[in-house]
Amino acid sequence: MHHKDGSGEHALRVDLGRLPVFAPPATLWPRIAAAQALRERQARQRRLAFGGIGGAVAAALFGAAVLLLPQRAPAPQAVADDQRESRTLESQWRQLAGSASPSPGGLSRLRLIDATLQSAYDRGARADELAPLWRQRNEALRGLITQFQASGAHEASAITRI
Amino acid sequence: MADGQASLVNSGQAPSGFGQELDRITLERARRGDMAAYSAIYERFGTACYNLALRVLGEPAAAEDIVQEVFLKLIGTLRGFRGDAPFGAWLKRMTANATIDALRAQQRFGADDAQTLFDAMPATDADAESRTDTWTLLMRLPPRARAVLILHEVEGYTHKELADLFGQSESYSKSILARALKRLGDSALNAGSREAIHDAP
Repeated sequence: MHHKDGSGEHALRVDLGRLPVFAPPATLWPRIAAAQALRERQARQRRLAFGGIGGAVAAALFGAAVLLLPQRAPAPQAVADDQRESRTLESQWRQLAGSASPSPGGLSRLRLIDATLQSAYDRGARADELAPLWRQRNEALRGLITQFQASGAHEASAITRI
Repeated sequence: MADGQASLVNSGQAPSGFGQELDRITLERARRGDMAAYSAIYERFGTACYNLALRVLGEPAAAEDIVQEVFLKLIGTLRGFRGDAPFGAWLKRMTANATIDALRAQQRFGADDAQTLFDAMPATDADAESRTDTWTLLMRLPPRARAVLILHEVEGYTHKELADLFGQSESYSKSILARALKRLGDSALNAGSREAIHDAP
């Protein structure tokens, strides 16, 4: 017997090297193989179940995305772009108009849109509500500019400034 | 044994079996999930696993459960075996860990069931009766002492490894081992089992 760690000081030792060696029962490996087969079957069923649920979830998400995509709210960046365009158009219109009197109808429409916009901002409206208002305002400004250009007020104003 | 199907296959002179080599082809086949390869591994190492568990736990049914647990775990983790250590050493560690876990899980453990065990155990060796004396003495030890004794004296665990395995200090396992050896020697002398003992070098 091999003794380590200083445990060999006993006068007599039981010979553990003569311990009998027993064979496991012949049924043990078939039992293990059957348990493994059961585990694999259960794992397959879990994967199938998980795959089914995953597929259903993915289909639902895809459907929701398809439904929501056309109604997606404009990003704040789109509103900012409309605002920037609006400032450019307004500046352009003021240059054109100068001291001339704009059309009362066009101006009233612009003032109405501005009031609606202000009201929307006051109640904390989202981008999807603000964007169409800014686009309306830009349309109104473009209408005013076109109106001035068409009536020749542009020329008069330019001559006056010169 | 418990189901009457196990048998004494040879004397303790044979190696425990964990020291055997496992060929690379069988290992690779097993890694790919080939159950025939696992069957071959069981053929080679199953007896070693079974005897380590049986010697510590003392109950064939419990030892069978350990072998099943170890082989199922082996099938699930063999891909992670890097081959840094010999396969047999890896399997021995898995078996020892599972066996100690089983010991921990048992609130009561029958240390004196050896007579019942051997009543149901068909001996195929004419010399088996004298060899079971050592077994009988071993089974009279408390399970934990048996575990320390078998792992240290038969399976070659160091006290450092035993300390890690049991979550105790090295001096604890040294103390358990010394007491187990003394108790075993005393029991052998009292029982007059001269076959089971020999003069220390």
